[in-house]
Amino acid sequence: MSVPLRLSPKVLLLQPVRMLPSLILPLLGLLFVGGFSGSSYVWVAGGVGVTLAFGVVRWATFSYEIVGDRLEIKRSLVSRSVRTIPMERIRGVDVSTPPMHRLLGLAVLKIDTGASGGDEEGKLDGVTLEEAERLKAVLLRRTRVATAPVPGTPATDAVQDVAVPVEQGIIRVPWRWLLYGPLSGAYLLTPFALAGGAVGLAFQWGDDLGFGQDTALSVGEWLWDHPYLLLGVALLLVVAMPFVGGVMYVVFNWDFRLTHRDGYLVAERGLINRRSVSLESRRVRGYEIVDGLAERWANVVRVWAIVTGLGESQTRGQLLPDVPRQIAFQVTGDAVGSFGSELRPHPPIARNRRLFRAIAPWLALALATALAALLTGVTAWWIAAVITLLLAGLGIPLGIDRYRSLGHGYDGMRLSVRQGSLRRSQAVIERRAVVGWHIRQTWFQRRAGVFTLTAGVGAGQGGYSAVDVSRAQVAGFPAEVTPEWLAPFLSEGS
Amino acid sequence: MPSGVPSRDPAGPLRDPANRVSPKAVRLWLVEALIAFALLVGISILIARWVGPSGWSWLPQWFADDPWLLPVGVGVLTTPFLVAEPFVRYAVHRWELSGDVVYARSGFLTREWVFVPVSRIQTVDKAQGWIERMLGLATLEIRTASHAGSSTIKGLDYTVAAGLAEELAHRAEELRDDAT
Repeated sequence: MSVPLRLSPKVLLLQPVRMLPSLILPLLGLLFVGGFSGSSYVWVAGGVGVTLAFGVVRWATFSYEIVGDRLEIKRSLVSRSVRTIPMERIRGVDVSTPPMHRLLGLAVLKIDTGASGGDEEGKLDGVTLEEAERLKAVLLRRTRVATAPVPGTPATDAVQDVAVPVEQGIIRVPWRWLLYGPLSGAYLLTPFALAGGAVGLAFQWGDDLGFGQDTALSVGEWLWDHPYLLLGVALLLVVAMPFVGGVMYVVFNWDFRLTHRDGYLVAERGLINRRSVSLESRRVRGYEIVDGLAERWANVVRVWAIVTGLGESQTRGQLLPDVPRQIAFQVTGDAVGSFGSELRPHPPIARNRRLFRAIAPWLALALATALAALLTGVTAWWIAAVITLLLAGLGIPLGIDRYRSLGHGYDGMRLSVRQGSLRRSQAVIERRAVVGWHIRQTWFQRRAGVFTLTAGVGAGQGGYSAVDVSRAQVAGFPAEVTPEWLAPFLSEGS
Repeated sequence: MPSGVPSRDPAGPLRDPANRVSPKAVRLWLVEALIAFALLVGISILIARWVGPSGWSWLPQWFADDPWLLPVGVGVLTTPFLVAEPFVRYAVHRWELSGDVVYARSGFLTREWVFVPVSRIQTVDKAQGWIERMLGLATLEIRTASHAGSSTIKGLDYTVAAGLAEELAHRAEELRDDAT
């Protein structure tokens, strides 16, 4: 296979659709400036023609080729550029099918090399589905053969392994569990974003749609004069939050499947844009279990993988959408490895610190607004004072719950830290992924005799912290996980 | 443990790192503190000159009358920190390389301790700012795959830093462990 390949010509059909939004305004402008004369239409037609021709030339000058053990992506539109991606650097292949692509039977193939910048990665936008599958198999196979030469195993073994891809389903999330979606709090702000977008569009396109910006402004003023209507609209948006959020969640997480394939964890999901993300199993260093307040009440959790060198890990690293906690433990145990130990609580002084931090800012604000109310006598200040006082009151259960979330533990293989209340997250990380320890103590922490201990990890967020651990724990935990590193620095007699 | 300033706040059973940074580092921190001080006071003078005569109604009368209180206040409040910082830092900043692990402590108001095993080091850089160059000091930057597992040792004597960088780079090469 050493023939340079092009993207599917069908991608040329996508070109005009994709260019339309950015072209329509300049072209309309051209028509206006030209006063809709004959020549202005000629200019516009010329502009469209040039754009289409540009698309064709770009398609014709873009090619990719697998040469030996590397993938070369060539562009020679203006200047010649060749991006070479060595196969053994490929950490994952991400195939997605946006709606337009799907209509034409095309897919977007993204090659994750673990490089820091997004631009460094390879992207083939518009290959046929079969070609995407073929490339994915080829790229991932080469990766596996190139990087996992197990000593003592004949190379043929590996190749045979691949010829019949070992595919093993881990979980297929039943549609009933999609109902947990609104609990996750994800996409909850969508109604506001949509409303904001509509207002923005009305302003931007008002002229073209037959009403000027003045109309839009006067509508706004009219609304402002009818505050109850405005309040109604706001209320409607708030009520719509869980519904629209839930629908978005369903669209993105439709038919979520997690499978083991050939040394990769493959997560597939999505209704309109079906997305498949392959994570190389041997680069998975752990996982993060996240549950918000409402999710804890329903006993469901979401899970992300902690992978070395994965960009956009928030969207790409998702291992599970909202599923019942027991299932999540089972799946993470199967796919990565379970954490078989209890989390140890942090010292009681940490509870005081959590409480102080949850209450004090609101209390201070309440006092300030109450003072302002007393001085000015304006009712609005009183309202603000009552609201902030209520928030300070809410800080009590919040602080206690934050303290309850704190914990760290080690089971001989993996360590785990947990924190947070409104969004509680527990990270479980393999011991060998730890690249160092970082201890931090602010002036306030010093007075309380506690520390923040961070395990440096070359994956995920880069570090996972145990907040407000005691004096004994701050040395004890690293010494337990990596005794050989800490041994020289523990003072004698303790 | 070397004698000297007794450990102010040992992290539990952790002992102090063995080596102090160069005594010249006190001068480095002093110069840096002076520059920060000059900047702060300078900015507050600018603010005072701008806000003082503006006649904004929400300004308290006593401040509008005497805007010079702002830079004076800033100066008075920051001077104790300016005086204390270099010496506190010199007492706190320590480092050690034992058992192929770099152990370093740093900080002024916020203390930090870092353990970086040599086997996980990716790069070792030594850097010199213009003040450091004048004083013959250097900063050692030890990087791993994680920002939380990386360490910066400031105020080392240049020859010490160069020797340490050399040794770390050499050992890291030998111990390379690519689990991350």
